[in-house]
Amino acid sequence: MVALCGKIPVYFMTRKSHSKPEIEAALRYAEKNGWRVEVGGAHAWGKIYCPYNDKDCRCGEFCISSIWSTPRNAGNHAKQIRRVIDNCTNHNKNVSSEEDD
Amino acid sequence: MNEYEFTLKFSLPETISHPSTYLEKLWTEGCDDALVGIGLRSRIALNFTRESSSAQEAILSALADVKRAIPKAELVEATPDFVGLTEIANFLGFTRQNLIEVMTSSGSAFPAPVHEGKSTIWHLFKVLVWLKERKKYSQQETLIDIAKANMQLNIAKDAYNIEPTFQQKIWSLMT
Repeated sequence: MVALCGKIPVYFMTRKSHSKPEIEAALRYAEKNGWRVEVGGAHAWGKIYCPYNDKDCRCGEFCISSIWSTPRNAGNHAKQIRRVIDNCTNHNKNVSSEEDD
Repeated sequence: MNEYEFTLKFSLPETISHPSTYLEKLWTEGCDDALVGIGLRSRIALNFTRESSSAQEAILSALADVKRAIPKAELVEATPDFVGLTEIANFLGFTRQNLIEVMTSSGSAFPAPVHEGKSTIWHLFKVLVWLKERKKYSQQETLIDIAKANMQLNIAKDAYNIEPTFQQKIWSLMT
């Protein structure tokens, strides 16, 4: 069993679910796009990590984003998470490419 | 009450350890309506969705919350304000090509950029207002309001660098 663990894709690994369904759905969306979710903290429930966190990535500060356990508005917090995923430059590379000029 | 969507980016002094040390403090000071970005060294960014009576009130209260949590944080930029072609097109739901057509067909009437060069940058507010007034493109009022407030905040922040006597001379030439 232990030997198999390394072969299980990250998104199948069990982690603690977020208590707000909208946020949990946004976290699954993040994982589906290759982001890693790490649980830990008090008011800060956990963090999400951009899969392209390298010198070419322009998510900038939001390459690592902190998730609240009890945000003021769960629906808005979920939207904020989804926006970060959707704005991820490398993720969109094939959709729209060029620089502003 | 309206909901305003904006991001404040701050630099942290070198002596401060990882930005994640400030998360609990940000929560207790009222930043529980923001997604906090901690992916860059000596930087912290907060993407707010803040309910407020006005855009100015929204960014001022957000700025005050962050300053209480991290007194040494220095504002780098409030967004959305400085934008390139692609970003403007995204805000409007245009294609880039669409937007370029509107620009070229309007000639010099289109708002002047803040910077022209390899990349050209505008104040989002100027473009949105121009499109609304001249072209009758309807916009989300909260976006126009927050773009205006952000523009003023960014200008006010940088105005600290102007020498007062030089500023007087500049203004006398512009009026």
